[in-house]
This record gives sequence, C-alpha cells and structure tokens, in this order.
Amino acid sequence: NCFVHQAGPPSPRNPPTSARIAFLQGERKGQENLKKDLVRRIKMLEYALKQERAKYHKLKYGTELNQGDLKMPTFESEETKDTEAPTAPQNSQLTWKQGRQLLRQYLQEVGYTDTILDVRSQRVRSLLGLSNSEPNGSVETKNLEQILNGGESPKQKGQEIKRPSGDVLETFNFLENADDSDEEENDMIEGIPEGKDKLRISKHKIGNEGLAADLTDDPDTEEALKEFDFLVTAEDGEGAGEARSSGDGTEWDKDDLSPTAQVWGADQGLIKELYIMNITLWGMIADLGDDELPHIPSGIINQPRSASTKVTEHEGARGEEAEPITFPSGGGKSFIMGSDDVLLSVLGLGDLADLTVTNDADYSYDLPANKDAFRKTWNPKYTLRSHFDGVRALAFHPVEPVLVTASEDHTLKLWNLQKTVPAKKSASLDVEPIYTFRAHIGPVLSLAISSNGEQCFSGGIDATIQWWNMPSPSVDPYDTYEANVLAGTLVAHTDAVWSLAYSGIKNQLLSCSADGTVRLWNPQEKLPCICTYNGDKEHGTPTWVDFIGCDPAHMVASFNTGSAVIYDLETSQSLVTLSSQVDSGLQSGSHINRVVSHPTLPVTITAHEDRHIKFFDNKTGKMIHSMVAHLDAVTSLAVDPNGIYLMSGSHDCSIRLWNLDSKTCVQEITAHRKKLDESIYDVAFHPSKAYIASAGADALAKVFV
Amino acid sequence: MVMAEGAAVLRRNRPGTKVQDFYNWPDESFDEMDSTLAVQQYIQQNIRADCCNTDKILEPPEGQEEGVWKYEHLRQFCLELNGLAVKFQRECHPDTSHKTPKECPAIHYTRHTLDGAACLLNSNKHFLSRVSIKESSVAKLGSVCHRIYRIFSHIFDEYENETFLCHRFTKFVMKYNLMSKDNLIVPILGEEVQNSVSGESEA
Repeated sequence: NCFVHQAGPPSPRNPPTSARIAFLQGERKGQENLKKDLVRRIKMLEYALKQERAKYHKLKYGTELNQGDLKMPTFESEETKDTEAPTAPQNSQLTWKQGRQLLRQYLQEVGYTDTILDVRSQRVRSLLGLSNSEPNGSVETKNLEQILNGGESPKQKGQEIKRPSGDVLETFNFLENADDSDEEENDMIEGIPEGKDKLRISKHKIGNEGLAADLTDDPDTEEALKEFDFLVTAEDGEGAGEARSSGDGTEWDKDDLSPTAQVWGADQGLIKELYIMNITLWGMIADLGDDELPHIPSGIINQPRSASTKVTEHEGARGEEAEPITFPSGGGKSFIMGSDDVLLSVLGLGDLADLTVTNDADYSYDLPANKDAFRKTWNPKYTLRSHFDGVRALAFHPVEPVLVTASEDHTLKLWNLQKTVPAKKSASLDVEPIYTFRAHIGPVLSLAISSNGEQCFSGGIDATIQWWNMPSPSVDPYDTYEANVLAGTLVAHTDAVWSLAYSGIKNQLLSCSADGTVRLWNPQEKLPCICTYNGDKEHGTPTWVDFIGCDPAHMVASFNTGSAVIYDLETSQSLVTLSSQVDSGLQSGSHINRVVSHPTLPVTITAHEDRHIKFFDNKTGKMIHSMVAHLDAVTSLAVDPNGIYLMSGSHDCSIRLWNLDSKTCVQEITAHRKKLDESIYDVAFHPSKAYIASAGADALAKVFV
Repeated sequence: MVMAEGAAVLRRNRPGTKVQDFYNWPDESFDEMDSTLAVQQYIQQNIRADCCNTDKILEPPEGQEEGVWKYEHLRQFCLELNGLAVKFQRECHPDTSHKTPKECPAIHYTRHTLDGAACLLNSNKHFLSRVSIKESSVAKLGSVCHRIYRIFSHIFDEYENETFLCHRFTKFVMKYNLMSKDNLIVPILGEEVQNSVSGESEA
C-alpha cells in the first residue's frame, strides 16, 4: 500500500524491532554528526566572511564595521553523548533548535527567500507522504500525525517515537517560518500546526522535482548534490533497504513507516541545504575581490579533514599573508558510511573544482562600485574576423579599446573595438581591422606590446622579431600613405620565435626560440641583444618566457621538459627550478605550453599539455597546487591585472576563469572551432578595461565583456 | 609534433617546435577529417605535400560542395600572397617610378588589394559560414579574382618556381570560369591557356 496517496490511516505494520530501532538511532546519530560538521563549517565560513567584510569596510571607509562580536568561533568537544539521544530529549531538542536557528539565520543572510524555503518545505512534505489534494489543511496535518505515530499506540514506544515526530514537524517549522518562536515549536510537538502553516500547505502544488533542481540551474551542482542520496541509499543491514530515497523522492519506499526514517528524509533535505550554503558562502567570500582576502588555503576546500598538512604548505608559500583560518580537525564519524573517506569525498570541494557556474545569481553580493575588473560573468561581444589562418597570439593596448592579433597567415592586425561593422544575424559585433602589419614571412607566433602602447613586437617562424610603431587607433584603414610603421627588425635567433615579453621598467624585451635560447633585448641600442640564456640547452627547449611580476630583475622560462626556471636577468644565473613530478606516461605530457608570473605575488603558474595547471612558489620552487583544469591540453594563461583571477585556454575549445584564491572555476566559455587538433592559442585580459579576449585556430579572435 | 608510439597522433605545432618539425604528422584523407575546417586543412595538406602538383591541389574531394571549395581556395591564395608581398617588398629596388620601396606602387596595390580581399572574404554579410556559402556570395568570388590576378601581373617573378602560385591561380580561375581568358595576360603557361578547354562547371 502506498501511503503517499492515502487519505486515511495506513494499514497496520509490524512494530519495529529493538534491533532495528538501535540501528536507525545509530544512523540518526550519524546524521546529527554530519549536520554538526556542516554547521561548524558554516560558522567558520561566516567568521571568514565577517572578517573579510570588516577588512573591506575598513579599507573602503576607513572605519570599523560594526558586526558585533568578531570572535573566532570555538567548538565544544566532539564527543557525542550517547546518552543524549533517546533518554535526554530535552538537550537534543535544544541542540536541534539552536542549530536550526543558526541555519535559518544563515539562509536569510545569503538571501534565500521565503519562496525558496516554501518550495523546499513542499519537497519535504511530499517526502513524508502528505498530499496536497485536500484544501483543508487540518485534515492533512491530522494525517501527518497519524502517519508519524505509526497508526498504533504511540505511547507504548514512549519518548522514542514522540521525539522524532516532534523534530520532523519542527523541521517544517524551520523551513517555513522566518520568525519562529519557542511557543510555536512546542505547539508543533503537540501535533497542531499554526494557522499559517495550513495556509502555506494549501498554497503550493506538490512537485516531484528534486531539491537539487530547486536550488540551482546548474546540472553540475545537481550532480554533486545527488551524491547526498547516499545518505538514504540501500545498505546492508536490517531495515536499511526500506529507507531508500532518490533525490526527487519518487522512490520513497512506501512500506516504511518508521518515523526515524522519515526524519532521515527530512534531514537529507537539511543537509543538502547546508551543503549549498557552504558553496554559497565560499562564493561570497571569493567574490569580495579584495587584495586582502584572508588567506584561505586551497587545502581547506579540497580536503577539509587534512587541512593541517595543506595549510602548512600554503603558509610556506605565502609568507606574510594573513593568518590562515584552520579548522579543528577530526571528530564525528559518520555512522552511515563508516569511514571518513566517503564523507570527505562528499564534503570535499574537490568536486567543486569541476563545477562550472554560468548563472551567478545566487552568488550576488553587494559589492559597491568598481566592478570593472571583478566581473563574474563574461559574455561574447566582438568577433574579429579577417585573418586567413589561426590567430596565434593577441595583446591588448594598455589603455585603449584596441588590440593586436598575430596569425599564421603571416600578418598582424590592429583592431579598434569602437569601429564595428553591423551584423544582422548575431548579437555579437564584427570588427574590421584598421591596419595590417606585413613583414614576416611565414606564420607569426608571438606578440608583445610595450607598456605605453606605442610599440609592439612580433616573433615568427622566420626567426625574426619585428619591431613596430603602433599606428594611431584612428588611422584610416584605406589610407595610402604609409607611415613609418616598421621600426626595425631584431635578428639573432636561428629558429622560430615562440614567445615575447615586454617589461616597461627598463623597456626591455624577452624572447625565446626553438633554437634553444632565451634572449634579453634592449631594442633602442645599436646591439640590441643584451644577454642570452640557456645557450647550452641545459634545460631543454624553451617554450615560453615572462618577467617576474614582483621582481623585475628576474624572469621565468618554461621548457618542453616540463620544468620552468627562474633566472636572474643580470647575472644570467638560474636561481630556482620549478618542477613538478612527471606522472604522465605520455612523452610530451609534461610539455609546458605557457608560463605566467603573478603580477604581485611570488607565484608562477604553468599550463601543461597533460591538462594540468600548476602553481609554484618562486622562493622555494615547490609546487603549491596542481589541478586538472581542462579536458585537453592547456595552451594559454593570463592573470587579471589585480591578480585575483586566472584565465586559461585549452584545445578542448573552452576558456575557463578561475578564482586564484580558491582555485575554483568561476566561469567556462566555449569558444573557437578546432582546426586539426588545435583550438585556442591565446587568452588575454585588458590591462585597464573590462575586456577579455581569446585567439583561435579558426582564424578568429573574440572579445568578451 | 607526433607523439610517442602507442599514443594517438595529435596534429599540433606546440610552442618550442622547430621550423623543420612543423606539420610533422602523417596525412589524413579528407573523410578522416572531422573538423568544420576540413576543406582548409585538406588544401593546405596537399600544398605542403607537393606545391607543383596544381591539378591535385585543385581537385575537390568527392561530394564536396563547389562554392565552399572555391571560397577556401581563394582564402588560401590570399594567405600565400601575404608572404609573397613581403618577399617582393624586401626585394623591391628603386627605379624611375619610385625612389623607395615604401613608395612602390606595386606594393601599395598589393597590400590594398589583399586587405580588401580579406575584408570581403571575411565579411559577415557574404561569407558568414565557412561550411556553406550562398549562391549570391559565390558570385562575388569572380571580382576578387580579378583584383588578385593583377597582383600577379605586378610581381610574377622568381618566386614562381618556389611556389607555383601564379600557375595554380591561373588554372584555378580557368577551371572554375572565374575570369575570362582575355584577362589572363600574365605570360605563363603559354599554349596551355590557349588550348585548355574550359568545360568545367559554372561558378
């Protein structure tokens, strides 16, 4: 008999055995512990958030933000009092209430409206088998009471049965009523709902959508949330199989009338909410976008229980950063799964690293002003269409809405985003080039613009570096007069020039070539090549170069052997070797396609052919973090001018934006079609405007706003 | 660069690749190419294999839509002419018509024409997709050919033996009737131009 659709009392069932009661109680304890963990986590996050708000407020307004007591939350001993559960209902109820108050407060804070809560309470209701077909609320709640009390003499079971039912109803309370009071809850225990509950019940239809669907549109998050289904998955053991429920409750076992199992179902919803809040709070903290973000080591996100080890690594890397927030470790085994590992895999936000969020509505937070460089969602706006073959490199002008592209069609082109061509068919605008640079023979592979935007440099397969004077952004594309655009040619390399980097501090240019050398140039001088590095190819063939952002006397070069090396520019000494373990079985798997230096922190980031992005400490050379970032080789990297976000491009046809603190992906954009096995060659941030761009093998460059 | 044995072939020119190792992968048949840019890939592959074999390069694979075939070939011509224009610019010597290479009218004309062709061939209005092309847009290809041909009349010279570019272009416009024979004034192919039967399908 399916009690979900019943209007009357359920048919008599076998009374639960004491063994089964014990088992279910144990599982319930596990649930409680789980919840405790999550609440604790959320307290820590809230603390971090408060800290961050305080800092931000202080920085912005110069005064302290009044947030009340900013104590670091402390946690009592983890030991669960075994005596607590069945024999001390009073304590347990207090714990429940406190926990629920806290959760309610958090939910309100993150902006969960009553509507959402209503929908969720509706879900819980459907889980518990209440139908909404009756307009008369009181009949329903009577049903609820009867169902919960098993249709038999509940008094025989004494407190064991009564307490859980009270908790279930209290759960409803939590979900529905923002301004709950103690009196209401007590009333609920007696089984008579408040008037407003009745109204709410009749307002909404029952839907069978999973809780996950209510929370977010993101299918990946849904996937992650479905992991919580394990909480009521069939288990070995007496009676466990009866309490089966999928994410949308359609498989709710109709035969199980145990109130504890029903509470379990309600708890599942609660735990999902806690998990969502967890994510939300992280998102909020991450998006504050202040330079002084509290140092939240990635270790905490990926491995909450082993936070201690990762924190140390990170601390080492980040020297003078703010005191990292650490979690008290351990405690609270999950009885359900019997090991911490599975708990870890569920709670660990390692999964989140793969989540892609394109809808940031839930993460909105009142950031005043200056959203320019802190945008969370980028949308395609301009398509730069004129090259005949893949665009290998692109660079923005330092201040103007202008960029330069370098292509395998032997040319470079100058584009002004304010000169667009009307395109009827698509929302994005087509841009025509205003100037074409011709001097290379063969594909142009690399590009760098001087810091004042007046010159640019390009390197090609013809081993030359061409030095150009940038035409004005308002030049007429069809002007016959040819100004002195080509300023000169730097000749020294004997093979393809793959990478160029410009430093405005000394007006110097760095280049690396397939001939094995890295060279430093001072273009103005008569003999422009000042220095040559790796002349003996001791590190392999260089693939990319960059000046070190926080120390312009240093530079970093990546090599096809999988390591990167930091050099002292003046002494030519190699100072530090940044190497990661090569665990890829592929010969070219460790090949580094790109290396970038963080603009302000002593951190270097590499993009690998084996899909990884790796982070290194410049001082020690140790790898701070490694992640599988894409489905195929990562080809390009760019750090935003404020050092908060990382952008990566890959041959998997996608661009990803990452928050550098949390190392989580905040947006993924699909762009560029494949030619052969290549797709995206380069990505870039505008140094001072809210533009990002990508360059592809499909001969297009795209600009996003 | 081809990967180690046992791994799948990846047709990539990664950073650090030497010039001599570029495109160092086995050829693919047209049917094996699963990219939307397969036509371009195929044409470029055949040119790399043997740039003198103009007939093979111009022969479309079975079932290939002719409009797209002609379009992609024109793109490839413009691409190669970019390089040729640069070579010409380097070799350009002063004479009576101009004193510096910068003033050379041939170079000006070449650059201007190639820029214009790039604009037209990439225009959203006419050639939005590289996979299918409207009939009305295909008609535009003829005018592009006229202008590009004039570049050859300016700079046909020693590069021809390296690239066979003018040969190929002349055959191309004849094969697809993109220009009338009277306009083919560049003194190449001599009798071939006179004797060839332009029985190919119309544009």
